[in-house]
Amino acid sequence: MQRRAAGIAARLALLLASTVMLSACVVRGPFIPPNLAPGARQHVDLENTPFFPQKKYQCGPAALAMVLGASSAIVTPDALVPLVYLPARHGSLQVEMQAAPRRFERLSYRLSPNMDSILAELNAGRPVLVLHNYGLPMFPRWHYAVVIGYDAKRDRFLLRSGSKARSEWRVRTFMVAWHNGGRWAMVVLRPGETPASANPTLYLESAADFERGANPPAARAAFDAAVQRWPAEPVGWVGRGTAEYRQGHLADAARDYAAALRIDDANLGARNNLAQTLLDMGCPRAARELLRAVDAGALKSPLREAVTDTREHADAAAEAGVAPDDAVCGSFVAK
Amino acid sequence: MSLSLWRKSSIAILSVALFNMGLASAAQAAIVDTSALVAPDRATDLNTVRTQLDRADVRAKFEQMGVDAAVVEHRIASLNDRELHRLAADMQNAPAGGDAVWIVGAVFIVLLILELTGVIDIFKKV
Repeated sequence: MQRRAAGIAARLALLLASTVMLSACVVRGPFIPPNLAPGARQHVDLENTPFFPQKKYQCGPAALAMVLGASSAIVTPDALVPLVYLPARHGSLQVEMQAAPRRFERLSYRLSPNMDSILAELNAGRPVLVLHNYGLPMFPRWHYAVVIGYDAKRDRFLLRSGSKARSEWRVRTFMVAWHNGGRWAMVVLRPGETPASANPTLYLESAADFERGANPPAARAAFDAAVQRWPAEPVGWVGRGTAEYRQGHLADAARDYAAALRIDDANLGARNNLAQTLLDMGCPRAARELLRAVDAGALKSPLREAVTDTREHADAAAEAGVAPDDAVCGSFVAK
Repeated sequence: MSLSLWRKSSIAILSVALFNMGLASAAQAAIVDTSALVAPDRATDLNTVRTQLDRADVRAKFEQMGVDAAVVEHRIASLNDRELHRLAADMQNAPAGGDAVWIVGAVFIVLLILELTGVIDIFKKV
């Protein structure tokens, strides 16, 4: 028995020794500097980020309150518990963490799963909410924390986590926990802000999610930011147009939809919305002309219903022949 | 009982929802939401029905998992179709961030060593 134990001990020692030797050949680093964008700061400490120590199992509400607070949406973790805490799971789910900011007139944006996107947001002054896993795939231990800074020289991340207002993390430790947590990270944006690291498609998805419950001026700000930053993306123009339409600014809406159509003539959302707007402006002939070549039967819901409906109304109004379309009508339709 | 309670309530909810759908589209001129344009492939005719089922499913799971009945509807209303579907599919096992307990610290050290020795590469871009 004793010999066997000694054998195991010897084998363990051998394993440890070989591990240490192996690691000696692959020691790398530093890790932060190569992931920093040119001109980025070497040291970021967003010390003005509010801090809320978590209650048992409630790191989700606490972390969310911190990033919301940093975007000047003042809310306590207690107020977030009913929105994101799931008692039977002793935690909060990512889906709800991403949905909750919309309740406070904020967009949430999931970052690309790489360290450079976290660094870019911190450098832009925005704290980052991350999911860590301190367990194994079979036995996970998930935890939300807020990254509030980094120190490139010392290769450290700075976090608000659990009951600690500040804790320094070696990059390697941080990355193992983040990697095993699925590399999930999000930021909270005021309408009108775009993330430093944004990809237009992901941002527009986030803005479209935001549009659903937002008041039209806030939705306008979110899409206006997209139009300014990515003017070649038709969806940004459509979103801004719809926000204008919902405020009753028909001419502005028509201008934005027309801009989207100039970029992408095949964008049927822009085409339908422009037709509906022209109809509301008293231009049924121009509206009908826009939809003339569209085969509604080939479209999917909800576009199909929208086009059918717009066309019916346009036909009826054009045939009633109230008044001829005036010159204004023509100005929104591409020749 | 041939029809389960869940099925019965789904049918009831669906019929109300289908009725409401007609009302909503009549009231709100034919402007298409931007969400239908960002990922047009997602939109299918089945989606509306699926969303109603997902909603019933998530509502039942929220109640089972101890969410206060008074806020269940509020929470469901915060979610879009895609999010409802994700929750309906995997509320039991999806990551739920809770406490920062290091009870599995030893395991974590093993992972760190694996990383150090290059068995897993966490710094690789994905």
